Amino acid sequence: MTNLIKTEWLKIKKYPAFWWIMGITALSYPGINYMFLKIYENILGDKGQAAQLAKLLIGNPFSFPEAWHTVAFFSSIFVFIPAVVVIMLVTNEYSYKTYRQNIIDGWSRNQFMTAKLIDVLLISLMITILYIIIALVVGFANTNNALADKWALSYYTGLFFLQTIAQLSIAFLIGFLVRRAFIALGIFIFYFFILENVLVEWARAKANDIGRFLPIEISDRLVPRPHFMVRINKEAYDRALQAVNIHILYAIVLTTIIWLICFQINRKRDL
Amino acid sequence: MNSVLSLSNITKFYGSIQALKEVSFDVPQGSVFGILGPNGSGKTTLLSIILDVLKANKGNFLWFGQPGSPEQRKKIGSLLETPNFYHYLSAISNLKITQSISHRGTEVAIDEVLKKVRLYERRKSKFSSYSLGMKQRLAIAAALLGDPKVLVLDEPTNGLDPVGIAEIRELIIELKNSGHTIIMASHLLDEVEKVCTHVAILKTGTLLTTGDVEEVLMDEDVVELSAADLNALATILKQLNPNVTVDSKLNTAQIIFPKGDARLDEINSFCFKNGITLNHLILKKKRLEARFFELTNN
Repeated sequence: MTNLIKTEWLKIKKYPAFWWIMGITALSYPGINYMFLKIYENILGDKGQAAQLAKLLIGNPFSFPEAWHTVAFFSSIFVFIPAVVVIMLVTNEYSYKTYRQNIIDGWSRNQFMTAKLIDVLLISLMITILYIIIALVVGFANTNNALADKWALSYYTGLFFLQTIAQLSIAFLIGFLVRRAFIALGIFIFYFFILENVLVEWARAKANDIGRFLPIEISDRLVPRPHFMVRINKEAYDRALQAVNIHILYAIVLTTIIWLICFQINRKRDL
Repeated sequence: MNSVLSLSNITKFYGSIQALKEVSFDVPQGSVFGILGPNGSGKTTLLSIILDVLKANKGNFLWFGQPGSPEQRKKIGSLLETPNFYHYLSAISNLKITQSISHRGTEVAIDEVLKKVRLYERRKSKFSSYSLGMKQRLAIAAALLGDPKVLVLDEPTNGLDPVGIAEIRELIIELKNSGHTIIMASHLLDEVEKVCTHVAILKTGTLLTTGDVEEVLMDEDVVELSAADLNALATILKQLNPNVTVDSKLNTAQIIFPKGDARLDEINSFCFKNGITLNHLILKKKRLEARFFELTNN
């Protein structure tokens, strides 16, 4: 196992595209949180009665403990940036034919796939650490109430980590099957931003919300929209929160299936 | 002699196309084993199967009497089809990956193999900046890393200039002399003829012949002779053996005998008795090229 990690690290550590994209991620995650924080402040900073009433009702989503949830939600929108890295790391192996070479040099096919799983886990871990740092900074900067329970919602760290693994695994599967970087990226981005959203909204209106079982949506529901975004519809918000537990199970099952498919195809196919 | 590699009934289909048809042969230890064949004859497919990059549909192969495994591949230095490296990494970084996976060689060994293939000066340049010949030399360096006792080289001189080709030939002879076994696919017959001890010849997936290079090449005795009057010589020779050809350009006549039947002293005295003095008489080994065309053209 350490050999696999060491070898993957040798591939990544001098890969400029990897560090560029991770750098962009490190800027975009705090960026989107800061942007929404400013929007919130602009709207509710109004001294008007309505704004003050709203503030009283929903609290400050950027203060502890709600900051854990809010930051997780906004950060997760940008998971497509590390997904680019994941797709590059797998398609590179095919375009450079280094996948063959790794096998020829003495890895088993399963070792190769395990090494790629490690890549996805490492990138998810890096992203989650970034999320924790942002959540702490945002939380401490916006919490005035000394009595607030800072850690009450810190379990969003686990949800965010699982969500990242689940969604990056889907990106990996597409890269692994398609083998061509730009086609895989195109498919992932189109599906992630457009196709699945359309299907989910359609299903919500017409088909008993069956869209919750679509691959990205399964893990999207691990981190529901923050309270202030669902127009203070308490009932819908509570329903979303209740569904989180079952979606943990769905996400784990789906991710396991994805990796079983990858291992299985990899064992059979010619390189 | 022990077999390093033995193949039995290896068969491979690409869809409906049969790339290999029940190919079987043994590679003796310490040999330089050339796999020959025209383009598309299945050479690379065969090497890919023994390196577990492709799966055979039928048949099996044994390395040192054992079924192929990752542990065995670690001990074999291989170059398959094209140099496969991470484009954004330098020669050194790429070889560190080879080393990390195969456990062959050390940091010092990396410098040594790079010197051996004359890439040391450019060791820190990215692979993507290399010429075709340099890429090929890096692939050879990777195969040589840690001095494996068995090497599988697919078209090792691809993309190399004449000096590079000569260097690789020297290297192969040097490796053979130090007890290495080399399995090499090539369509450059001249190259194979100069270095190989054994050959296997493939045509559209069928093994035509295999064995010791001398045996495969010397299936007939070709006697080349010459005299002042070539026409008179040819007329006389026809009494001895009807199988005479005259090459007026080279000013020689050739007689072909079944293997081992040519007696140069008898031919000489026969000609002399018939009033012809020879100025050239030699038993020629058939060139591999000629043999190859014979085998693959029918």
